[in-house]
Amino acid sequence: MLPWLLRRLLSRAIIVWLAATATFALVSLTPGDITQHLEGKRIAPEARERWRRNFGLDRPVPLRYLHWLAALSRGDLGYSWLYHRDVAGVLAATLPRTLLLTGLGLTLEVLGGIAVALVQIRRPHGFVDRLLNTITLTAYALPAFWTGLLLIYLFAYRIPLFPPSHMLSPTGELATGWQRAGDLLSHLLLPAVTIGLAGVGAIARYLRGSLLDERLEHYVLAARARGCSMSRAMWVHALPNALLPLVTVVGMSLPFLVSGSLVVEVVFAWPGMGRAMYEAALARDVPLLMGGTLVGATAVVAGNLAADALYAVVDPRVRT
Amino acid sequence: MRTVRWNLALAALVGLAVLPCGCREPSVAERQQPTAYGPQPGGFVIVAIPADVATLNEYQRGADATELTVIDMLFPTLMQEQPDYHLHPPSFAPRLASSWEFSQDNRTLTFYLRRDAFWSDGVPVTAEDVRFAFELQKDPEVGWGGFEIKDFISTVDVVDPFTVRFHFTRVYPYQLMDANDGHIVPAHAWGKVPRASWGQTDFEERLVTSGPFRLASHTPQQTLILEREPSYWGRPRPYLDRVIFRVIPDVASQVNQLLAGQVHVVEMLPPRLAERVRSSRDVELVEVPSRSWGFVAWNNRHPLFTDRRVRRALTLGIDRKSAVDTVYFGFARLAVGPVLSSMWAFNRNLPILPYDPEQARALLREAGWEPSPRDGTLTKNGVPFAFDLLFPATNTIRQDLAVIIQADLAKLGIRVRPRPAEYTSLTARLDAGDYAACMSVWEEATKVDLASAWATPGPAQGSNNFVRYSNPEVDRLIAAARTESDVTRAKVIFDRIQELIVEDQPVTFLYEAPRLVGVSRSIHGADINAASVFFNIEEWYWGP
Repeated sequence: MLPWLLRRLLSRAIIVWLAATATFALVSLTPGDITQHLEGKRIAPEARERWRRNFGLDRPVPLRYLHWLAALSRGDLGYSWLYHRDVAGVLAATLPRTLLLTGLGLTLEVLGGIAVALVQIRRPHGFVDRLLNTITLTAYALPAFWTGLLLIYLFAYRIPLFPPSHMLSPTGELATGWQRAGDLLSHLLLPAVTIGLAGVGAIARYLRGSLLDERLEHYVLAARARGCSMSRAMWVHALPNALLPLVTVVGMSLPFLVSGSLVVEVVFAWPGMGRAMYEAALARDVPLLMGGTLVGATAVVAGNLAADALYAVVDPRVRT
Repeated sequence: MRTVRWNLALAALVGLAVLPCGCREPSVAERQQPTAYGPQPGGFVIVAIPADVATLNEYQRGADATELTVIDMLFPTLMQEQPDYHLHPPSFAPRLASSWEFSQDNRTLTFYLRRDAFWSDGVPVTAEDVRFAFELQKDPEVGWGGFEIKDFISTVDVVDPFTVRFHFTRVYPYQLMDANDGHIVPAHAWGKVPRASWGQTDFEERLVTSGPFRLASHTPQQTLILEREPSYWGRPRPYLDRVIFRVIPDVASQVNQLLAGQVHVVEMLPPRLAERVRSSRDVELVEVPSRSWGFVAWNNRHPLFTDRRVRRALTLGIDRKSAVDTVYFGFARLAVGPVLSSMWAFNRNLPILPYDPEQARALLREAGWEPSPRDGTLTKNGVPFAFDLLFPATNTIRQDLAVIIQADLAKLGIRVRPRPAEYTSLTARLDAGDYAACMSVWEEATKVDLASAWATPGPAQGSNNFVRYSNPEVDRLIAAARTESDVTRAKVIFDRIQELIVEDQPVTFLYEAPRLVGVSRSIHGADINAASVFFNIEEWYWGP
């Protein structure tokens, strides 16, 4: 087990390094730099040159790359040109907010998917089944920004139940304790539902399929023969077995926790890592972009590794 | 039993979804306290901003418009610029400086500072702070975006703690303005930061302010809250308890929240949404002249556009009036020349080139462009008249204009390909001269200075002339206008420069955009003018 894990770890570390290097090359080769992102302002070329020197942009790309690597080896992610703060500080502030949002989104997705599948399985191919199929597929097909705007329109403006954007209201910003938590929750729901809605269809379809298979298994028939109701047979006996393939699906969406909410964060003005990366990319804030790439790549790789490890635990044949 | 538990879980999930929000922003109606007539202290305004405030120290980088708005409420300037630049170079009112005077030869300007101005840590604001700000403005290590402004100021001397003297190398109409530009920052607090690490310092942690407001909290990418400074020395003192800046990147969301009463000020309404605001009962639409104007930049060194006749033909061939009216919904006016029509130096007798495709065809023929017999495309020496027209990918106004221009010029046999480009890389291409044509915008200062955009690129001039326009006569006149201190005589020179540039048509002048501001009707006392939306923020108050 240990050599297997070590081999995997090494190969994954190389993947992260390759991803980071490719990103560095891409950003450095794209025309424009941080000094050029202020719109419409007349700035003297000398001033731009001074900023370039301040940011070390007057050095050749390979040298900048080596400097970045050297700093990274000391655990220094550098200084964000856009936010005027340490990259580590920016990531430490934004990543938890993204995790909170996507975490709740994924939870809603899984719970919603299970609920929908259980309702569908009551009468397969019946009217309700087909209706839910259509609805969840539509939700899956809708782009997240559109779902988000629709939810904002419906539940923030038509029926003003929730705030349309941000993480806290101005009053919540200055509040503490429960009031702040309640404010946060009310701001969290619409974006989390936006993230969750898209995946409900996928989860429901997987689960419905495996529940349909389980339905015909002998143990279900045996339970039914002993007088167990159909719904109890499904909930209690079939569901735990049908959930197994779902573990893989959810495992595969783990990297999404870090990287998946960019669009939703922009629509809801959520101050997470996705938005920070988006703005860093537009402004060519290389250190922040690199820091975000490292976190994102590590999350993807760690997610896959966790899924592999889980698989290895479940299925010993993989451990070769 | 299990079924019941599952149902409970589902019910909890549904319950969570309809949970009413804990503390929603109070609506305008909820917040309106019955007040007697006249200003009352208290309340707050929420201002929508498109992007976060990255730094509160303008000497870290070029501060953008939003950052300057906030900085303006936190740090003093020597004087306050008045909104009268349409009549003459702007006049000034006292702020940190209670009075000022020029020497006999006009080369020395002395400011007398207020003796009751203090920083938030109790230290007095002195001449040393003024000198420190000047030192920062000129320091190459700091790289202040506006350092060119101080080109003609050689030194700043501290005479005594409350008297400071500016020495000029020449006499010109904008001496007061150039001396005033840039905020005064605390020398005792920020002077300790080594210049080598200046760019990498978090000044929010070292914030010492001296304005009518101070920083209460800042959650990056979300909200920046300013609160009234209780020990503010200036008069009047603000009525508002707080000014809250909310980062709302999407303009449509800004407008929705404005109409819903969750935001009280939106500084830049897009014209297509302004109508919705105008018809609202709770929000007022305020139109003030802005200083941004749009044009088609023709790269004057590109082989297609070196000939003045061709550039004039392009302008004549575009129905500019109807294009601008369509895209700006009637809010913008046609731009005529290089000086904004709202400026004192604007030449009111400039000829406006009409929409005249016939004359355009004649000019093009004269320049050697003939329609090809095959498809009517203009060609010269076998080269077809075809080029890419760049525009920033996220800007729908400029995209719409580019498409209209494409259609208009197609009628002349010119093939235009509108091409979106990401903003930062677009700027890099313009700087490098690697383009043919581009939909561009300039944001003018309140100073009439044609040197940076229209003089032939060279040392100390033309640094922003990315269209590479060059006319020796214009260069000579610009140099003359820069040193002419008599406004009437300067006006004559400016008039002639405008005539020459309009004749040359280095760009096609398109529109002067208005600034459309949406303000909640519950805010009173606001004097939103051409100088600034928050010109008299101290006098804003809530009322019925």
